Amino acid sequence: MSTPDSESSNGTTPPNGAESTASAESTASTAERGGVLHRLYTGTGAFDIIGKRKRWYIALGLLVLVCIASIGFKGFNLGIEFTGGTKISMPAAGAQGQITADEAEDAFREALGYPADSVQLVGSGDSQTIQIRTDKLSVEELTTVKQGLAEDLQPLGVNGQPTVEAISDSAVSGTWGSEITKQALIALGVFLALVTVFLAFYFERWMAVAALIALLHDVLVTAGLYSLIGFEVSPSTVIGLLTILGFSLYDTVVVFDKVKENTRGLLGLTRRTYAEAANLAVNQTLMRSINTSVIALLPVLGLLLIGAGLLGVGVLRDLALVQLIGMIAGVVSSLLLATPVLVDFKMRNPKYQAQAAKVRQRRERNSTETSSGTEQAAGSAPDASVLDADSRREREMVAAVSAPARTGKGPGERGSGSRSAGGSGRPTGKKRR
Amino acid sequence: MAPPAGQIRPGRYLAVFALILVGIYALVFFTGDRKPTPELGIDLQGGTRVTLTARTPTGQPPTQESLQQARQIIEQRVNGLGVSGSEVTIDGQNLVITVPGQNGEQAKRLGQTAELNFRKVQQAVPVSALPQSPGKTQGQGSTSGSGGSGSAGSGSGPAGTTPQSSSNGTAAAQQPPPDDPDSRAAAIEQAKKTRQSTNPQVQAQALQALNCSAPDPLRGNADPQKPLVTCNQEGTEKYVLSPVFLEGQQVETASAVPPNQQYPGWTVNLQFKGQGAQKWADFTSANVGKRVAFVLDTQVVSAPQVQSAQLGGRTTISGNFTQESATNLANTLKYGSLPLAFDQSTAETVSPTLGIASMEAALLAGGLGLILVAVYCLAYYRVLGLLTILSLVLSGAVVYGVLVLFGRWIGFTLDLPGMAGFIIAIGITADSFIVLFERLKDEIREGRTFRSAVPRSWARARRTILSADAVSFLAAAVLYILAVGQVKGFAFTLGMSTVLDLIVVFLVTHPLVVLASKNKFLSKPGVSGLGAVQRMGERARAARKRSPKQGPSATTPKEA
Repeated sequence: MSTPDSESSNGTTPPNGAESTASAESTASTAERGGVLHRLYTGTGAFDIIGKRKRWYIALGLLVLVCIASIGFKGFNLGIEFTGGTKISMPAAGAQGQITADEAEDAFREALGYPADSVQLVGSGDSQTIQIRTDKLSVEELTTVKQGLAEDLQPLGVNGQPTVEAISDSAVSGTWGSEITKQALIALGVFLALVTVFLAFYFERWMAVAALIALLHDVLVTAGLYSLIGFEVSPSTVIGLLTILGFSLYDTVVVFDKVKENTRGLLGLTRRTYAEAANLAVNQTLMRSINTSVIALLPVLGLLLIGAGLLGVGVLRDLALVQLIGMIAGVVSSLLLATPVLVDFKMRNPKYQAQAAKVRQRRERNSTETSSGTEQAAGSAPDASVLDADSRREREMVAAVSAPARTGKGPGERGSGSRSAGGSGRPTGKKRR
Repeated sequence: MAPPAGQIRPGRYLAVFALILVGIYALVFFTGDRKPTPELGIDLQGGTRVTLTARTPTGQPPTQESLQQARQIIEQRVNGLGVSGSEVTIDGQNLVITVPGQNGEQAKRLGQTAELNFRKVQQAVPVSALPQSPGKTQGQGSTSGSGGSGSAGSGSGPAGTTPQSSSNGTAAAQQPPPDDPDSRAAAIEQAKKTRQSTNPQVQAQALQALNCSAPDPLRGNADPQKPLVTCNQEGTEKYVLSPVFLEGQQVETASAVPPNQQYPGWTVNLQFKGQGAQKWADFTSANVGKRVAFVLDTQVVSAPQVQSAQLGGRTTISGNFTQESATNLANTLKYGSLPLAFDQSTAETVSPTLGIASMEAALLAGGLGLILVAVYCLAYYRVLGLLTILSLVLSGAVVYGVLVLFGRWIGFTLDLPGMAGFIIAIGITADSFIVLFERLKDEIREGRTFRSAVPRSWARARRTILSADAVSFLAAAVLYILAVGQVKGFAFTLGMSTVLDLIVVFLVTHPLVVLASKNKFLSKPGVSGLGAVQRMGERARAARKRSPKQGPSATTPKEA
């Protein structure tokens, strides 16, 4: 991780001041040309995420299609909880030294007269265990097998003495997995319904729709990757999938909060279009999203390393794996899918189209006039007085809505963009309400 | 809403938090058992867990009352095992039996028992053998009055096989009926037509056709008013039985009796309730020499011959019992009547070795996660990172205390998924700090000083944190309420962490950031890790100074 300070040394000083004000407020500015990391860190970013949205749609669309195809044709690798059966596990440390899978297989056959479905050695170090899988055994058979294994292999218990109590077993009926899944799907439905209500109140309609689309993408991609790679699906996996939903929404909520903030009163201004404002929001939250995900993923990674590396199997690994995949899908979709989709929805509204047209007009007008000659992606620096009036109005706008939990003014309620330059240029220190 | 931003007194908030923390630990150390340890689930301490899923003939969910009733009956049985700390809980349509420690194997047999009924045996045939006279059939004990005048039965009793365990054997070998309620209902309907027919011819055909090793769709679903064609639990004998004349609820108590002068082997003593005693007396008076079937879940547990009329509501069942089989039969008879039939969905025994390994792994994973998060925060946020770590540690302290108290008050047990929930929540907790710090950076980038940026960024971050945590909590709450199985622990700890995260952010992190912003040393760009954006902010300020038209109005923090 390179530190911001060492990075900032190659951040060029902007040619003039007005320019850098703009850079702080407009994505269009490329004056702050630090390294990518620096741009990430300071959030001036200038990554054109919205502009390239077609690219993301195609990529993510393909991914989703592949996932759906895989789920449809290949299906899932279902764990023992879905197929039913008995699992026996014991420490690989025996009184005679290390127990091998072959020894365990022989002992099992000797005890019951038929071979086990699978015998494997999982985990590492002290936590290494022998895992035996079979069809469902009765209590008697189970007792017989456990006795047999204990006698032949002498697995060591907690106190270092060989004992039958060192052997664990779990029998699952074939319907249990579907029972859990059924309940999980009910929970999923309820959660989605509640979330839709929540989002509808919290955001505007299209934001709620976009957030749900991103959510759907996350579920599909996570499930699809499981199907593609063939990871084993256990009830823990299904559960983990549900908790991802919360996380994925969380990400989207944060980005949309910023979008909302940046687009307050946008229709009354001609500084930037909705798409640009949204892009700025994505850029401003980019580092936050990446940070959030990294921070959230670090513990999950720890869980996965230990769960898969040390224990080899079980709840920890299943939960961690699905969270890992889901979180990555979640952050990608909140940045590359949710906001672009939102912009597309919004731009279908004539009001926003008209406003975008105005923005273009003004920029064209400005670009015909000469200016400070700095390179601005949005054309050259606009006429100072226009810029002043405009940015001032915008600031007032931001100030007016900075009080939390205040509902924003509906678009179009504000001054209809008549830019009477000058005159009121002096600050009054009063907020316009 | 909180007081206006910019006017908070950090000391007060921190003091409130300190009070909460002291309060929690005072409760931990001075109430209850005073042990600062949470209740551990069996997957962490070793033990047996059995999940029983209720089955109803229609496929409809069972009523809460019947589940409650079943829970109480099974709880009695579990207590009969004599392992302390055992419990039976309802989870959706399931009963979950947990028995800590090493003596839980028996728990795997407790849910096998559903309906106990008494029917008269009309006809008995050994499986894959010609019918023979019932007097010489295998698996036949005898029953006699407790007066003791009845001699021991001539049958050889349930030789060496224990009624309960064998029920387990066959039940386990059986595939559960189709999951789909419709097809299951159809199978039940079909079986009722043939095996519960009142027409002797149909009965005979059904008896011929009956396969004792196939799963029985009628299990627990037979109509007590009609005859029944069925097998015994060992699958060695088939019967045609009359309608039920006495229900299992009428059994007052039953006990296994060791060998004594009167009976050389183990026997089972049975005591009926008032009404049942009358019915039993009537039946035995009328049917001396006939066999009576104890039918459990439509399988015959035992079919002894009636030796004599038994008045007074007591009876002794003798046969080739061992101590275990006698005890099992007594238990079956005593607690026989569950209001529901159950399928054993899961049955697992966790060895202490595995429990310890899981526990260590989870702690290790949690520690590793914390260290990774701490290193990342420090590298990225410098001193603010320290605040994050401090907040996380305090958050952990609160969480642990609350966990202990919940274990004490509402019997919450921490299991492996629960630990996973905590570990995953580390990220969610740390995330609230990031929202705040990134907001700070936004404000500073726009030209504010660190100090003036704090109140404004807090006002905005607060809203995001609240809504994001609301979503997380919603997910956890829905899971906790609706999902079944091990997920409950996971959802619980996740939801709890979310709530406690809010407390810590409001009472600790934010006040600490305020304190840091008032401290000269901590505000240095190099120290706070905000250097780059602070320089940008300075340039923004300088820019505004150069263009006086944009007066300071833009930069004065607006206090609501």
